[in-house]
Amino acid sequence: MKRRRFLKLSASACAALAALELQGKGMFRPAVASTGDAQGLPGSLGAKEIPSVCEMCFWRCPIVGKVKKGRLVKIEGNPKSPANDTRVCARGNSGVQLIYDPDRLKYPLKRTGKRGEGKWARISWDEALDEVAHNMNKVRDKYGPHALAYFDHGASAEFMRGIFKALGTENYTNEPAFFQCVGPAALAFIKTMGYITSGTRQYVDMKNAKAILLVASHIGENVHVSHVSEYMEGLSKGAKLVVVDPRFSAPAGKADIYLPIRPGTDTALLLAWMNFIIEKGLYDKDFVKSHCTGFDDVKAAVKKCTIEWAAPICDLKPEDMKKAIITLAEARPHVAIHPGRHATWYGKGDTSRHQALGMLAALFGAVGVPGGLYFPTPVKKGHSECAECGGEPETPDESIQEDYYPFASMFGSPTSKLVEASLTGKPYPVKLWGINGVNILQTIPDPYKTMEAINKLDFIFCEEIMPTETAMWSDIVLPGATYLERYDAVYSYDLLTPYITVRQPVVKPMFEVKSSYWIARQLAKRLGLECFQAKDIREIIEEELKPAGLSLESLNKKGGLVPIKAKPYRKRKDLKFKTESGKINLSVTDFEDEDLDPIPKFIPTPAPPKGYARLIYGRVPVHTFSRTMNNKWLHNEWPENQLWLNDEVAGKIGLKDGEEVVLENQDGYKSLPIKLKVTPGIRADVVYMAHGYGSRSKMLTKAFKKGASDQFMITEYINDPFMGASSHRTNFVRIIKGNKVINIPDLCPIPPQIPRFKLKNAASAKTGGKK
Amino acid sequence: MVIDLKRCVGCHACAIACRAEWGIPVGYRRNWVHRLGPEKTPHGLSYTFYPGLCNHCDDPKCVSVCPVDPEERTFKDPKTGKKKTIAIHATFKHPFTGAVLIDKTRCIGCGSCVEACPYGARYLNEELDDPKADKCTFCVERLEAGEQPACVKTCITKARIFGDLSDKSSQVHKIVASGKAIRLTSKEVNIGPNVYYTGLKKDTHLLIKKYAPHERKWENVMAPTRRDIILAAVRRLKTAV
Repeated sequence: MKRRRFLKLSASACAALAALELQGKGMFRPAVASTGDAQGLPGSLGAKEIPSVCEMCFWRCPIVGKVKKGRLVKIEGNPKSPANDTRVCARGNSGVQLIYDPDRLKYPLKRTGKRGEGKWARISWDEALDEVAHNMNKVRDKYGPHALAYFDHGASAEFMRGIFKALGTENYTNEPAFFQCVGPAALAFIKTMGYITSGTRQYVDMKNAKAILLVASHIGENVHVSHVSEYMEGLSKGAKLVVVDPRFSAPAGKADIYLPIRPGTDTALLLAWMNFIIEKGLYDKDFVKSHCTGFDDVKAAVKKCTIEWAAPICDLKPEDMKKAIITLAEARPHVAIHPGRHATWYGKGDTSRHQALGMLAALFGAVGVPGGLYFPTPVKKGHSECAECGGEPETPDESIQEDYYPFASMFGSPTSKLVEASLTGKPYPVKLWGINGVNILQTIPDPYKTMEAINKLDFIFCEEIMPTETAMWSDIVLPGATYLERYDAVYSYDLLTPYITVRQPVVKPMFEVKSSYWIARQLAKRLGLECFQAKDIREIIEEELKPAGLSLESLNKKGGLVPIKAKPYRKRKDLKFKTESGKINLSVTDFEDEDLDPIPKFIPTPAPPKGYARLIYGRVPVHTFSRTMNNKWLHNEWPENQLWLNDEVAGKIGLKDGEEVVLENQDGYKSLPIKLKVTPGIRADVVYMAHGYGSRSKMLTKAFKKGASDQFMITEYINDPFMGASSHRTNFVRIIKGNKVINIPDLCPIPPQIPRFKLKNAASAKTGGKK
Repeated sequence: MVIDLKRCVGCHACAIACRAEWGIPVGYRRNWVHRLGPEKTPHGLSYTFYPGLCNHCDDPKCVSVCPVDPEERTFKDPKTGKKKTIAIHATFKHPFTGAVLIDKTRCIGCGSCVEACPYGARYLNEELDDPKADKCTFCVERLEAGEQPACVKTCITKARIFGDLSDKSSQVHKIVASGKAIRLTSKEVNIGPNVYYTGLKKDTHLLIKKYAPHERKWENVMAPTRRDIILAAVRRLKTAV
């Protein structure tokens, strides 16, 4: 047979088979992976759309869940939302795979092996809750209420927090969100501006800015849809972008001016910039005169901080530093000085750095105006007593919060202090941990110490969705419903495009998982607490919606979301700040009262010891903390992290792009293997990796041992003297290739103002690590 | 489609929205994001992205290598309603919209088109009992329903602009006519891709350097052997039994 004829034949044979298929004999598997609905519409077309709120991260974008035959097929942005309309990020899109992750926690579990070993028995909800309640009572009776501690993050943690509060512990909230992340920035802005300019969200109007300053904010690598899109709107309208970062990040790639600063010297740069604009008269004199206090003190304090003084400290060229500050000054007052979010870098000086950012914005008059820092829009929202549990607990004689860090109690108990108290029993014993919505072993510095502390506890339990490292170390694991399977509170958004909306289930809960409200209510009952009286959380939601003139039904008729008119700006004459003076505090007397610097000072953080580079970290846009690494779609997109290594350094030590290495930190701890990314886009004295990888939980079958964990290299930390947050960028690593320890060559000269970090045990570092 | 690299932050939302919309199994993809750099270019240090998808080329080599015998089919112009009948292989270029599509009922899963594409935009879905070639369709089904392509709808920075290049009033036409947009072509491979990129000079420079194809892959595509075709037919029969 001629080839051509054969082809024709076979093609028609195929056509015949296809015809058979079309007759619907049911003998064929579908030819294309299809999510077609009853009407045969392909893809997500024709799906039922249920409005809700995302919780793949804390930004909480409004979404619609698209459901076909009871199965969630796709998530899109809620088109009614003025913040994100139909848009959701990679993680938002991947919520589908959180629900259907086969590794999910499905049933309540009780530990049968050693802590951390991962041996479990399936138990009933009654048994699990009885056990948790019994242990809470037992520990409280034996050691007093403060022996209970709660580590919390996100929406799932809110109701259960009330239980710890009601039991009377001062440790009812220890949010890694504050003590490992935004705390120092939040405190700096509360004391400077009178409101939390940077907390969960940042009130900075990049959309209408003529210039934007980012100090190590990696917008685009950390993705929050409205935040990124406003930044991009601003840039596309011609805003100039100044990026200060030791690493050439995604925004550095879009910057007009990029300053590759020496880590730990940002405050020196900011002080020099303040001095420069004061000297040259490039600040908003009228604004400073009428709306700021402490200007003369600031002027005197920064007088010696010249550009020439800062240049060798920051390892920057004076002309670039000047060009950047002039670019920002020319745009005043429409200049977005980004307040930053993750601020726990060096321990000492973190609060001051963010204070300096606030001061710079104030000197530019860039507050309450388009393009500057702005005010939250008040949203009318009710409050239901049913959502609460206990009143404010009494402070113990010696408090973990107030007796160590004067401003800690604004945020809760510093996590590192709780770990210490659990280990040493001082200032009082902490014997039970409840954990909700946070993987503490991949969050709190020195996980080895955290594991030691856990081993000393009488009891530890968690409410979780995935079998994280923290779940592995728990005695009882309570499987929580995902945000797509439960109601939560009413959510309001008070940034440039405000709205009110509500989280509601888009599908029924899978397996035996339960909603956070149900779990908290059942636990409260067992503890004899009279709270969470509403049988159905919808009663709470109705109560919260009332002041906005809404009910769940009427809200859903409007598409699940109602936009609210924004009031972000103020006329200058109407400007009033919620500080004691009613003005912006350029010098913070509250700090002075506690013997802390009222005006930021440059406090050098030790430079890397010889042979080491500083370890810095950040985010990849497809992952949230260590939470999403096991998500099928997100894992597929970015399964492991890479170690960014300066190309000149790599050349000198003979390492190539893509090679696999192991890291050893200053205390001798070794990382999991990680592949190198050799690039000119990073300073020679730092290495970088994305956070959250290198999972040590074997029950996360996709994420287990993929990439390396920055967290397991962070064993050295310093507490912020203002509020007790623990530093993360105070660790140093060198490279191990095969069995060879490779020292990082010293390519960045260190000025006399900056000391070097002293290795604790030079001998052990020489011979190589312990773990 | 025009993709503005100045706006793209490399967030991967497009890649996942596409996967979700069409149920693309992990291991395959119609739509991807690669990261480029940070790397030195003559125009400065660049750190940019390659958000890629099928280029729906003017001269689609994937179509010309398709061994399935042509069959006549009538197409309708979505704008004018005008009809046209042409003979098409299992993969074909729509005479009115220009979209390069696959007739899944006729595709024999030989993989020739997958091999031929210089952009690697196609894959053979071997997870199916009866493997088929698959690729981006510009979400033609969604367009017919009055929706945007899934990747465009989710793009968080509005970096993707989709429209009718032949319509002079369209934004895509204006950008392309301005001459500012580049395409992933080379001296060796210039088959008229219809995805355009705009961006800073350093970024488009790096994109072309890394991802403009040079290999005329379609010239190396062996016509499927008899064995391949028999195997494909047997596979189909097996699933029928």
